[in-house]
Amino acid sequence: MALDVELSEIRDFLARHAPFDTLPPDVLGKLPRKLAIEYYRRGRSIITRGRDNHSLFILRSGAVDVRDDQDLLVDKGEPGDAFGAITLTLGNPSAFEVSTIEDSLFYVLPEGEFRALVAGNPDFAHFFDELRARRMGGAVARLQDSGSTQAMLKTSVRDLIRREPITIRVGVSVQEAARAMRDQGASSLLVVGDDHDELVGIVTDRDLRNRVLAEGRPGETPLREVMTERPITGDIGALAFEVLLEMVGRNIHHLPILDGSRPVGVITTTDLMRMVQASPIYLVGDVQKQQTAAGVAAVNARLSAVVESLVSQDATAEDIGRVVTAIGDAVERRLLVLAEQELGPAPVPYVWVTLGSRARLEQALAADQDHALILDNAATDADLDWFARLAEWVTAALVECGYPRCDGDVMATNPQWRMRLRDWKAAFTTWLTEPVPDAILRASIFFDMRPIHGDVGLHAKLANGILKQSPDARLFLAHLAKAATLNEPPLGFFKGFVLAKEGEHRDTLDIKRGGVGAVVELARVHALAVGSPALNTQARIAAAVAAGIINEDKGADLSDAFEYISYVRLRHQAAQVRAGHEVDNRVNPDQLSSFDKRHLREAFGIVRSAQSAMASRYPTNFM
Amino acid sequence: MAWFRRTADERRQRALRGSVRGPLAEYLATPFQADHRPLAEVEFLALDYETTGMDPDRDHVVAVGFVPLVGGRIELSRARSFVVAAGVEVGRSATVHGVTDDDLVGGVALEQAMEEVLAALTGRVLLAHFATLERRFTRAACARLWSGAFECQSVDTLELQRRLIPTAFGADPAPGSLRLWAARDRYGLPVYKAHDPLIDAIACAELFLAQADELSGEGSLTLKSVLAQS
Repeated sequence: MALDVELSEIRDFLARHAPFDTLPPDVLGKLPRKLAIEYYRRGRSIITRGRDNHSLFILRSGAVDVRDDQDLLVDKGEPGDAFGAITLTLGNPSAFEVSTIEDSLFYVLPEGEFRALVAGNPDFAHFFDELRARRMGGAVARLQDSGSTQAMLKTSVRDLIRREPITIRVGVSVQEAARAMRDQGASSLLVVGDDHDELVGIVTDRDLRNRVLAEGRPGETPLREVMTERPITGDIGALAFEVLLEMVGRNIHHLPILDGSRPVGVITTTDLMRMVQASPIYLVGDVQKQQTAAGVAAVNARLSAVVESLVSQDATAEDIGRVVTAIGDAVERRLLVLAEQELGPAPVPYVWVTLGSRARLEQALAADQDHALILDNAATDADLDWFARLAEWVTAALVECGYPRCDGDVMATNPQWRMRLRDWKAAFTTWLTEPVPDAILRASIFFDMRPIHGDVGLHAKLANGILKQSPDARLFLAHLAKAATLNEPPLGFFKGFVLAKEGEHRDTLDIKRGGVGAVVELARVHALAVGSPALNTQARIAAAVAAGIINEDKGADLSDAFEYISYVRLRHQAAQVRAGHEVDNRVNPDQLSSFDKRHLREAFGIVRSAQSAMASRYPTNFM
Repeated sequence: MAWFRRTADERRQRALRGSVRGPLAEYLATPFQADHRPLAEVEFLALDYETTGMDPDRDHVVAVGFVPLVGGRIELSRARSFVVAAGVEVGRSATVHGVTDDDLVGGVALEQAMEEVLAALTGRVLLAHFATLERRFTRAACARLWSGAFECQSVDTLELQRRLIPTAFGADPAPGSLRLWAARDRYGLPVYKAHDPLIDAIACAELFLAQADELSGEGSLTLKSVLAQS
């Protein structure tokens, strides 16, 4: 026989499972001798959350559960799966709990040996990058899971109650009740027993008017005679939605809320109106009704409250981006209509287009104005003046609405971005066929363009022309790809600092530049390379996957990373709104939980690897 | 039969006082483990011999495999296996263990093999499936090589299996149910196809980890509760 010095039973088992199947035969042959074998009964902890781990556990027989810091199941392991790589690559302590759900036998690879394998075998190392990305996907799935319920439907009565109820004993007169209402500034009183605190009735402003004054009854009239006895009540645990239906259905304006038999508050139609106003649908509706720029601005001031409420209801970053975009579109569209009313009809057809994040349906708070005008070729030089005034009018009104002017002057007020269709075509052709790096960097925003108001056909003609040329514009794509790989996300966090490349530390995380923005740029290159009309980053990633230039797993990872980074950014901005601070994109690491930091680090890792994949797809050495 | 009641360590000391030389003397010089020690603290050596038959006086060890079990971990980095050049013909036993006469030519001398075994066993408890075989062949080899008595503490996974398999009142377990691979199957331990002394030693050590876990329930075991009674 010759003895089985390589322990072929163990070697062959490893060879059947990823990532060991990527190891060369000589490395694989020596691997069994580096292992220890451990046995754990069902229900034992292999890697304990919050504790350090220094081994890679390869499950030989049995089964395990992997649970995250919320004790939610994120993975199940079967023979051939490996555990512990996350702490070995990202650091201790473990955020996950790995425990046996069957009696299990493990091959245990010590940390030092694992590092040697990672260092010497790129494919082996790559596998663990992907594994991390999958766990990351789990974290995103959870966010989206909780966000799938409509925000409005999730608000509970408890959240709506603003103050303790004003109560009064049933034995008093109507005059005493009216005085109490005046003193407390209340439009209703809950009436409780003389010798107990249980609700026996309710009296409102309307009752005093209709049942006392109008009937000519004196102030000494006992309250008992004019109050509504045994009123309809709501339960503290009910949903605002249920209470709303009840009040509308019965035409009730004040609804006492009970916790058991104890009155704890009153919900008024005003409370419900306030809730409804925080809904984006009403906000957009209200924008359409405004007749002046000031009116639009007043309505748009509710935007940050809408975003805050969506974030607190755990809506996804993508959904929130769409809502903010929809509101921004509504505001801009309404202002254009108002401007036309003031300036008179346009001399030739035109289309007002939005650029950048709003064009991609990804607008966040703190976004500045980015827009342009495409004019019909028939426009004469004299006609141009009307459009200059339109641009000035709308831009000024947008400033009034809280959208600051664009630093880079990418606005329709700039004559350079207020052109006839043929001039736009010429500009794009120059960018695509004779690319100059600086010019392309500045022009990239024009490749995220969406019509807002006017003749959308003008925009379609331009967009079709661009997409016909872009897949073949190799040099242009190479320049754009190079730019997309320049803003490298940080490596992670270390002792309260952001750990950038070369060991450099920064106090705050620029979540737009190296995070959201990096993915946006990658997705844009991909979409232009495959001639896809998609604008939204998630849609562009999907288009790149469909065209086969990113594989499905990598596409899913990049989508998850983008969603996660965007979510953290929105949450950061919502917190700034809540605190009354100026909204920005600079996140202080101290505000991030360890869960956030870990997943951001993973997300950044995914973005970096997507950047290096792009760098190799578009070699820049010939530029 | 007074010696029968002596503890293993007393037997070790007695053997050490005899006219013993070389590696055996060194092995015997290290005290055995106290019976009351928690199992987790005790080191074991899972040992497996391939032999030409069952009789240590007539038959020979042709291959040796062993692996230490330390702190509940089977340490493959310290596992060893070798063919023993016994200077005999393997004959028909080759059909069982696969060691052919050609293999034996390239093997190590019995003395060298036994030196390795004793060195690895020092301070450890012998662990084997049907440990009587390993114990007897080691004893016979030591007597021939160093004219001394081999003593050891041992744990027999076959004996433990007999204790663990529930049978009707004193009845013998079903035929074959105590064999190493059948016993492992009961714990869902993997099937190893090879018949190799080192794989068998590893298989025995894995089985012991599972058995010890079952025996301990939620408490903790001492060495005494698993030691072979001979």
